[in-house]
Amino acid sequence: MTLAAYLRAVGRESRHSRGRLAFFVACLAVGVAAVVAVAGLAASLDGKVRAEARPLLAADLAIEGRRPPTPELESGIAALGAGVQRADLRELVTVVALPPSPDGAPGKSQLVDLKVVSPGYPFYGQLVTEPPGELGALLADGGLLVAPELASRLGLATGSRLRIGRRELTVRGRIVTEPDRVGSEFGFAVAPRVIMSVADFASAELEGIGSRITYRTLLRLPEGAGREDAKQAKETLVALLPREGGQRVETWAEAQPALRNGLERVERFLGLVALLSLLAGGIGVAQTVRAWLTARLDAVAVLKCLGMRPREVLALYLGQSVGLGLVGSLVGVLAGIGLLFLLPTVLGNLVPRELVDPWQPWAFLRGLGLGVGIATLFSLPPLLSVLSVPPARVLRRTVEPLPPSRLRRLAFGLLLFAGIWGTAAVQARSWWLGLQFAVGALVAAGLLTLAARLVARVVSRWPARRFWLRYGLAALGRPGSATLSGVVALGLGVMVVLGMWLIERGLAKELRADLPETAPSVFLVDVQPAQWPGVEKTLQVQGASHIDSVPVVMARLTAIDGEGARERADEAKGEGRGNGGRRWALTREQRLTYLSELPRGNTLTAGAWWQDPAVSEVSVEADFARDLGVELGSKLSFDIQGVPFELTVTSLRTVDWATFGINFFLVVEPGVLDRAPQQRVAAARLAPGSEDRVQDALAAEFPNVTMLRIREILEKVIAVLDRISLGVRFLGGFTALAGVAILAGAVSSTASRRGREVALLKTLGLTRGTVLGVFAVEHALVGLVAGVLGTGGAALLAWGVLNRGMEVDWSPEPMPLLVGIGASLLLSVVAGLGASLRALGRRPIEMLREA
Amino acid sequence: MLTILDRIDLTIPRGEFVAILGPSGSGKSTLLGLMAGLDRPTEGEVRLDGRAIHTLSEDQLALLRRREIGFVFQSFELLDNFTARENVLLPLELVDTKNPRARADELLAEVGLGERGHHYPAQLSGGERQRVALARAFAARPPLLLADEPTGNLDSATGERVLAILERLRAREATTLVLVTHDPALAARADRRIHLRDGRIDRIELGAKGRV
Repeated sequence: MTLAAYLRAVGRESRHSRGRLAFFVACLAVGVAAVVAVAGLAASLDGKVRAEARPLLAADLAIEGRRPPTPELESGIAALGAGVQRADLRELVTVVALPPSPDGAPGKSQLVDLKVVSPGYPFYGQLVTEPPGELGALLADGGLLVAPELASRLGLATGSRLRIGRRELTVRGRIVTEPDRVGSEFGFAVAPRVIMSVADFASAELEGIGSRITYRTLLRLPEGAGREDAKQAKETLVALLPREGGQRVETWAEAQPALRNGLERVERFLGLVALLSLLAGGIGVAQTVRAWLTARLDAVAVLKCLGMRPREVLALYLGQSVGLGLVGSLVGVLAGIGLLFLLPTVLGNLVPRELVDPWQPWAFLRGLGLGVGIATLFSLPPLLSVLSVPPARVLRRTVEPLPPSRLRRLAFGLLLFAGIWGTAAVQARSWWLGLQFAVGALVAAGLLTLAARLVARVVSRWPARRFWLRYGLAALGRPGSATLSGVVALGLGVMVVLGMWLIERGLAKELRADLPETAPSVFLVDVQPAQWPGVEKTLQVQGASHIDSVPVVMARLTAIDGEGARERADEAKGEGRGNGGRRWALTREQRLTYLSELPRGNTLTAGAWWQDPAVSEVSVEADFARDLGVELGSKLSFDIQGVPFELTVTSLRTVDWATFGINFFLVVEPGVLDRAPQQRVAAARLAPGSEDRVQDALAAEFPNVTMLRIREILEKVIAVLDRISLGVRFLGGFTALAGVAILAGAVSSTASRRGREVALLKTLGLTRGTVLGVFAVEHALVGLVAGVLGTGGAALLAWGVLNRGMEVDWSPEPMPLLVGIGASLLLSVVAGLGASLRALGRRPIEMLREA
Repeated sequence: MLTILDRIDLTIPRGEFVAILGPSGSGKSTLLGLMAGLDRPTEGEVRLDGRAIHTLSEDQLALLRRREIGFVFQSFELLDNFTARENVLLPLELVDTKNPRARADELLAEVGLGERGHHYPAQLSGGERQRVALARAFAARPPLLLADEPTGNLDSATGERVLAILERLRAREATTLVLVTHDPALAARADRRIHLRDGRIDRIELGAKGRV
């Protein structure tokens, strides 16, 4: 057969199936739209970050760390050449306050995210202020720039005075845009921004020992320097970084690796959720193809009789599937573009409109590729049955195709699994994650199928007294009914949407729950040891209870049992399980404390508490010990402000973190660190509503002390959680939608039988209303089963994640579960009745005409 | 507009067995449809027990069919997702019969399928399916039974058996029967044979038994 003849035949063969095949397109388009939306959004954000790489760094290179550049690094910077410009920045969270009122009462205070800049900043991009002006001039002579939200909270205007540390400075304007404030667009900013000059910062005396300051040195290479120059300069500097770590170099050419890594992680996660809806759509595709072929068996027999070879027949139908897959994917891509336009509106400030560019050809290609791939993959198994249609069917209708052999079914199963794994690996950009997803999705779908089969089997034997109920039950139990796949897909959708919702609600409830009676409500950090008696007194005067304070010594882990911590961290590179936690544990800035008693909420699991006089002892939290890879007897080497210490692990502890007390991974025995440079961290429980007053009082007397409110921190966590949950639920909704499309398709594929039944029921004396009721009951039952199974799955998922994974005490509440079941029921009835509208209109006279 | 039936004037007294004969396209099914209220005449009227049914609404007709009219079709038309018993139960439940199960079982026994009530149509032979259809048609004791080629899909021996049951039930319930058929042998059993041709009554013959 020539290609032209083949294509003509494909066109003719599809002629009368177009209505039914619309469901094929719909099932596929839903999933492709979700995939395109996720990929497009991610590509869009990534593109913006790359395009703005230099302004986002405000420099060609940046060195960042918890301490200023070492002398070696300084010499390296100098060696880069005379043409290199430099600016030094510091960032820290601290408290600012209005000056005290004339009667001596403390002024209002506020936690801020302070940025200290030196002349030259920013080398790229624009710091826009209101009123506008040159940055150096604005900050000169005790000038300050403040974020608009701070200005409105403290009632600041140009000329207002504000206390920072030991200084009182003048507000010179508000910050409109800050080029290198990354992530604030997504609402992750800790506190409002304040910008001041390096000169004023020194006299404010905030740079105490152990203050959590981030030092950033920005470098601008000479005019005309490109990516390669930036990379070369980075290599020069990296070689000079201190061995124990804590500092890193970034170039604009890398374009915000941390931010983009974060975005990519979110994309991979949401991409898999989107894939789930595409896979559900695939089930629909398989279903539609099967129903379609059942109606074409006679045609297949005729084609074979006319001398078409089996594989030509297969090619004929596969061609239609691929073509339809293309059509469905194109429709999905269009819908995806629509979503990209809509998303900023739907998701509120989760995705700022100006960051979304809906024109993302690569995302479209990904959607097309995955869509056509899934369509082909899922239509292949039913299509292969055309190979075995006996041509004798032309003479005797009852000759059925032979069922596929066991071997062939196994081959299909493997093919399907490989395909799902492959697509998941594409979405997750990792074979391992893809495998986990594929197995997880198949297990969930398998369990749902089993449960649905079981339910169908049981209820179809249930002797219902009312015939309308019996009719609905019978429809569920009909063997090989396409309804089953709809139930599974809809159930899967309900499971994802509701499961995520339950998890989010469970976590938020736990986080919002009243803190335990004895738990602190604020933490005080950056308290100098000499200040503590005064701070404690202030707290007592203000009526705080449960005041607690411990010394903190900042240190860096240099080696474990003589083996460098850096090398160990390097070994933990890559994606594998636990590696992230391992790297973090080894390279973080370690905070040590020393205590004589085992703190409340701590339980020893191994070893003994300060029993060995021969060595300097340290007690390690059990999970942290696992991350570090240490056990009893391990020797930990630390560097504390240049002085080496060696500690021996003599006990392991577990910590009940939910008490919100001050707890440490590493607790050292008293006497070892007494003379090391240190500060204190304190916790206290304040009367509700007194937080502002206490902060004002502390800020007036101890301006370097920063008060962090647990409630506010928890609310931030809840806000982030809420956004992630919204994204997952939104995409999970597409899986439910695919389920609805499948159900509608399943109903529609039985349209002729249904029409005949409607006519018969009417002949037997059922009114139109009763027939509608009978059908509604049937679809409601289908939705009920999908809803109950999906909701059960969601509750199981939430229970597993919350009770098992997060140790949150969660038990299902009836309301969300009922909402899940109700929504599923309603969707099913609407889809089912919608798809049987034409059948419902059938008139009884048709019973007297030929079937 | 196509005229299918024209100038048909026919009265069927209660209890009569009327056969309607005629070649394909002569309007047999249309006539049957009019009698059942499945279709409406463009002109003229249809009365059942003196009540004009051509003016009734769809829903009123549905309620009428429940109580007054039973059907038997050429291709049986059982609900394939219902068992034999459930198919027979359906009309009984529609008219709220007391103790419908007993009546359904009784009817199934009467058509010789007492042991097969739990079987689905797909598990029954053609003749058995038509016997279930007969049980269903007589279940609600309708005064009028309309049969459309009831033996058309059966071999002659099976057809004969089905007919015997039909006649026995009809005689006992004194049901009026209107039967459409091609089969002269079958028609010969009727009280009256109405021959249609091109939508008109061609001729009317009295049955062998000579009753009118």
